[in-house]
Amino acid sequence: MAAPSAVGSFPSPYEIETPPGCEGWEEMYPYYARFDEERRAEDEQRFWFWNSMHFPVPMPAFDAICVDSPYQAIGNWQNRVFAVPPAMGIDWRCINGYIYISGNPVLDPAKIGERAGYFQARAGYYYANWDELYGRWRAKMEALIVELGQLEVPALDEYEPDAVAFEDQETSYAAVIQAYRTALRLLDVMWQHHFEFLLLGYGAYMTFAELCKANLPDIPDQHIAQMVAGLDVLLFRPDAELRRLARLAIDTGVDGAFVEGRSPAEIEAELGESDAGRAWLAELEDVKEPWFHMATGDGLYHTYGSWLDDPRIPYASLIGHIGALKAGQDIERPSDHIAETREKLATEYAALLGDDARKGFEELLALSRTVFPYVEEHKFLCDYWFLTEWWNKIREFGDLFVAHGFFENRDDIFQLTRLEVYEALDELALTWATGGPARGPKYWPPIVARRKEILERLGEWTPPPAVGAVPEEMLDPALIMLWGVTTQRVHAWAREQEGGSELSGTAASPGVVEGVARVVRTVGDIGDVRDGEILVCSITSPAWAPIFSKITAAVTDIGGVMSHAAIVCREYALPAVVGTGRATSAIKTGQRIRVDGTAGTVAILE
Amino acid sequence: MSHTRTLEELRHADAAEFGGKSSTLGELIAGGIPVPPGFAVSTSAFRAFVDEAGLGGMIATELGRMAPDDVDSVGAASHAIAQAMRSAPVPDAVRDEIAERYAALGGDDPPVAVRSSALGEDSQDATFAGQQETYLWVRGADHVCDAVRDCWVSLYSPPALTYRARLGENGEPAMGVAVQQMVDAEVSGVLFTCNPVSGDPSMVAVNASWGLGLAVVGGEVTPDDFLVSKITREVVREHLHDKDVEYVPDAAGRGAVRVAVPEERRGVACLDAAALEALVEVAGTVERYFGSHQDVEWAFARGGGLHVLQSRPVTAVAKPGSSAPVSAMAAVMSAFGVKKD
Repeated sequence: MAAPSAVGSFPSPYEIETPPGCEGWEEMYPYYARFDEERRAEDEQRFWFWNSMHFPVPMPAFDAICVDSPYQAIGNWQNRVFAVPPAMGIDWRCINGYIYISGNPVLDPAKIGERAGYFQARAGYYYANWDELYGRWRAKMEALIVELGQLEVPALDEYEPDAVAFEDQETSYAAVIQAYRTALRLLDVMWQHHFEFLLLGYGAYMTFAELCKANLPDIPDQHIAQMVAGLDVLLFRPDAELRRLARLAIDTGVDGAFVEGRSPAEIEAELGESDAGRAWLAELEDVKEPWFHMATGDGLYHTYGSWLDDPRIPYASLIGHIGALKAGQDIERPSDHIAETREKLATEYAALLGDDARKGFEELLALSRTVFPYVEEHKFLCDYWFLTEWWNKIREFGDLFVAHGFFENRDDIFQLTRLEVYEALDELALTWATGGPARGPKYWPPIVARRKEILERLGEWTPPPAVGAVPEEMLDPALIMLWGVTTQRVHAWAREQEGGSELSGTAASPGVVEGVARVVRTVGDIGDVRDGEILVCSITSPAWAPIFSKITAAVTDIGGVMSHAAIVCREYALPAVVGTGRATSAIKTGQRIRVDGTAGTVAILE
Repeated sequence: MSHTRTLEELRHADAAEFGGKSSTLGELIAGGIPVPPGFAVSTSAFRAFVDEAGLGGMIATELGRMAPDDVDSVGAASHAIAQAMRSAPVPDAVRDEIAERYAALGGDDPPVAVRSSALGEDSQDATFAGQQETYLWVRGADHVCDAVRDCWVSLYSPPALTYRARLGENGEPAMGVAVQQMVDAEVSGVLFTCNPVSGDPSMVAVNASWGLGLAVVGGEVTPDDFLVSKITREVVREHLHDKDVEYVPDAAGRGAVRVAVPEERRGVACLDAAALEALVEVAGTVERYFGSHQDVEWAFARGGGLHVLQSRPVTAVAKPGSSAPVSAMAAVMSAFGVKKD
């Protein structure tokens, strides 16, 4: 990897070696995800970047469905529905379990012109009817979540239920296979919904940001974000509910149960002993639906559960809030202040502009504010609520396999590709029906064990931020809007390939802080974060709420000024630099670093 | 008194008589901006000086034989005129008025700054014309009169002569003078009520260094450089530099001297958040009062207290953005690569 490559300052994807002991990792992923020799000539000339925003750790075989399904959906909306003039969809490849993506540009001017006609008509329709379409979107997304909840995975018992014999009910083996098909279809539908508005939403926001920067060249990115960001943000509701519960615990005198170091079960056991405690628990139950569908992380992996799956996270937050309240601190989100700042910035910036620019500013700000609820809310409904439930639905198939001896643990299902699961279900259906011996119980466990081992080893390997050719210019609106991968950013990555003790990224939240770094690669490492440390991660999620009251600054590999790390850091008034490309590989836990959230730089001091 | 007025009495309308700087200082005071007190000497004093000393003929002769394109010839004319002026007395009437105004400032021979106040609003021309003389830490009425005369002399500096010759100005030049109580500046510098480089009107650009303003204005140090949001008062950009020299009052009590800044202060930010906030506040007041972007000289006195020493319109501002106006939707379409027909 160190040798300079013929295709530029990024390594060639074909020169990257497999880490020792990880041979055969390719079998976990589809054939079309490989950098295969047969298409070397093209693939080596393309620019591929590691999508560490969504895929910070190696993909388990099953989870790769959350690469295919979203890229089918985004490609479809961008390329086939809206026909964004200069860009089709996004291709992906896998290197050592990590996901690299690359856009497909449209280069033919005649084609670009033809697409512009479609785009203007179709995107124009969405913008013109946004509120109505978005209202419908909310309804269909909520209906989809209900449908997922109602999907049953039938048991395969000794005998079919009476209903099969007497009431013409579908046979169980066929129903199992059908349920699996339905589960996959629901995931595709979710991703389809997910991307319906995304690009248009970000596009309106970006246009507003560009107008601001053209007329107010020094405007900080965070001011643009603050003018647009919603006041009643769905994503902040879960933590707001926890703060309310924390106050309730103190007001009703049950706060003594919330002792640092206690497990949720221990706390609940003590609460269960008093009337006031039971009343609090009843209130908690009310809050859970839907607010505990908050995910514990932002990645598209089965390992990211919800607060329902892992109550340690909300309980840690509760303990923190109760402690802060008792120490006399104000834990409220300063929503009045946020609203005031939002209007002050908008009014005062507008007043500084000439008439033409002010008109554009006001129109685009209004449009950005119209589209922004979607940008903020789709995350909770799609990525958190639906997806965490969906993984649990797949776990029910895992249970079925465990019951029939195919796997040891329900989560072992995630070590099979989605097509292998089909195959295994077919065998299960067959052998359950026939009563003959199944091969699965002997065939799958060693494969599962080996893949787990490979994933663990791949997790220790650090992928380069990009491979392939260094593009002269990034023109793909989606890559720029959604990933913040601008020409400038890519060129900085290319320059920084040699290393160096300073990283640059996007100034996402102002301020300068020096301190000890804590590199957090997966959600499981959250517990290691100590008070006063600086969080260094691929990308954070607002679901990591408890961390943000501990850390003094945040640095991420990827993301722009509207990434969730950026939003939350501004909320907590913590300096943040996002989109550094390589923070998690360049910085080691324990190193002293200086984060300059105003300039967008991170210096490694020792 | 016919040759002097207090600064606070002056307005723009008085510029023809007292020069741009003095009348601007009067406007600043009227706008509630903290300007050190002082008085202005009218162009009539200069004319009285030339008339009483009978210098008119001598000056005309020198200028008549000067070859404007010959550096040596310009230098010789300048030198001869300066010598004649310096050996001529300031008229008693002017001298008495200056002494009285000076005494009214109070204190025992208070130190003052004596600055030329050029005619004509175009400050850039004034700069070229060499009409920007400043004498700092002047004490005693006699010395003030000498400094006023030195300002007049600067009208005939080689650059001023060349400049006027190039414009074909043959008329009699004239100049006002501003005399202001000295600010014992701990930190001083200039600010722009916009970012002059990018043209961003939402920013205040501040250059600051230790001591009196001479070091910054004269380009003798690389000042600390701040960009501060007018709206939120956040420091958006900050570049600290090694500020190795500063001007301080001479220990002898007269004049300013250039000294080395102690090592440990050089790289330290010379303004804190509160000071920057005060500057942004004053920038807003000045900009609003004049209704245009301004280039403001300021100083923080030792022991606190912000003073504005001068303000002039910013002429060369980058004009950001604003190509042909487009509708919001056309702009969004363009972000997605829809090209205009």
